[in-house]
Amino acid sequence: MAASCGKTVGYFLWKFGNCCFNFNTNLLSPTPQVLSRQLCVSAVLHRKNLAAAGPEKFSEEFGKRHLTAVMSNEGCTTPAIGVNQYIYIYIAVQWGADRRPFHFLFYTGKQSYYSLMHDTFTKALAVEKHQDRLRGKDLFTQDGLLLFFHVVCVSRQYARFIQLMERLLSLPNCSVEEDFQVQPLQYDQHGVAYSTGDGRRKTATGTVLLRDTGSGSISINGTNYVHYFPVLQDRIFMLHLTAGHSHGGGHSSQAGALRLAISRAMLSFLSEGQVETMRQAGLLTPGPRIKERKKPGQEGARRKFTWKKR
Amino acid sequence: MAASVTGLLKPWTPRVLLVRWSRYNPYYLEPEPRKEVYHIPETELTPEQKEERELKSVRPIKAATNSVTSSVFNDPVLSKFVNMMMKDGDKIIAKGIITQTLENMKRKQVEKYHKAPEGKKAEIECNPYTIFHHALENCKPVIGLASIQKGGKFYQVPIPLTDNRRRFLAMKWMITECRDNKHRRTLMYEKLSQELLAAFSKEGNVVKRKHELHKMAESNRAYAHYRWW
Repeated sequence: MAASCGKTVGYFLWKFGNCCFNFNTNLLSPTPQVLSRQLCVSAVLHRKNLAAAGPEKFSEEFGKRHLTAVMSNEGCTTPAIGVNQYIYIYIAVQWGADRRPFHFLFYTGKQSYYSLMHDTFTKALAVEKHQDRLRGKDLFTQDGLLLFFHVVCVSRQYARFIQLMERLLSLPNCSVEEDFQVQPLQYDQHGVAYSTGDGRRKTATGTVLLRDTGSGSISINGTNYVHYFPVLQDRIFMLHLTAGHSHGGGHSSQAGALRLAISRAMLSFLSEGQVETMRQAGLLTPGPRIKERKKPGQEGARRKFTWKKR
Repeated sequence: MAASVTGLLKPWTPRVLLVRWSRYNPYYLEPEPRKEVYHIPETELTPEQKEERELKSVRPIKAATNSVTSSVFNDPVLSKFVNMMMKDGDKIIAKGIITQTLENMKRKQVEKYHKAPEGKKAEIECNPYTIFHHALENCKPVIGLASIQKGGKFYQVPIPLTDNRRRFLAMKWMITECRDNKHRRTLMYEKLSQELLAAFSKEGNVVKRKHELHKMAESNRAYAHYRWW
């Protein structure tokens, strides 16, 4: 919490009887003008205890004296402390004269962590816009965060930050599309060139083996493609396939997965221009559409419950 | 008054719910499935096309849908019609009906062709796809009506329609006509093929409906100035 400008001193009220941890009573020397604000006080107890009407009535001297009286059991000249007494502790707070906090994320409770998340997301958007890749992973270890951004965070928060960074790094680049490497052609024992590809669509996965000069017979999961896909729409993509395997999803999503797998397997056979044509035809992008989740308060993803007038 | 729904909203439900959103980043561009577009050489491109091509080479592209292919048999209008006819996501049945319709149309036309005298044979169109397209063209309205409120009353104001809207209306009229105004025992594909052939020769109920809409628009042309866009 590096609030270098306008560090002011305030009061923090704690009920004496309920303190369960040993508080560090760092009594900082108060500045002449003390801006005070009650952060946490129980309204009931406040009303009950007329003596603790508010810190305006009390000065630091009184607080100090009460504190020493509490901490030490010696006799002192201070008035008798009742059961519901309050202890005043000084901490650094970050609000200005108008009692509004300086940082816009103050009310999250962890302002530097959330402001870091916010900045990183802005960066992610900027990267999306300019199609740039952000490298420099050593900057973003947990120690690196401490060093460069002065952020102390728990391992769970750090894990969330890493998730966001991973998302940032996975954004598509202008030159390298979708982290995709074109595999070189592999040759099997007879000297026939072949290549494999796999694709996924909507929980269906498909793997494909493409042979260069095949007999033209196409089999999926061991059965002929005509029997496996009785619907014409699913068969449109099976032009060059030799052997395919698919599982998961329904017939349409399996066909889509196999289509992606075929396109990827064909990449090693094609030239650069043809690869670009395939990409612009939309064959190489894995479709992100999935089933939309059901929301609470509704019957389905979009369908609401029957509206009753009363 | 009406029971409020805000009481049902749980704290974890986001207050601002996106309705028309897509899983894609808005950065992604639409794919181009047709093969001919990629075979045009550099010299024959207009400046806009050149710019578009350059843009496409740097931007990511959305995935093509399952029903879209680069084959010669891929017809976007027919696909749209199949989707509109589909009920409860059952595309197999809808596609089956359309194939049966096209086959039926072809059979009827071929029968007419063989029965026609020599002079008339050339005029009879046998290709079911061209018949389908021409019939749909004949059903498309040119002008539409919008209900605009002015001074407490609602007036039917003639407005121009976009291409998509016209195509949608033609298909919608065709499908509702075939679903409602048929005898209980006639099957969908029979009725549809009858309507399409009638629309091809500019007869039939769908074309009549289009003419009625045009007449209404003509009669309400006094209110045309109520349109502000």
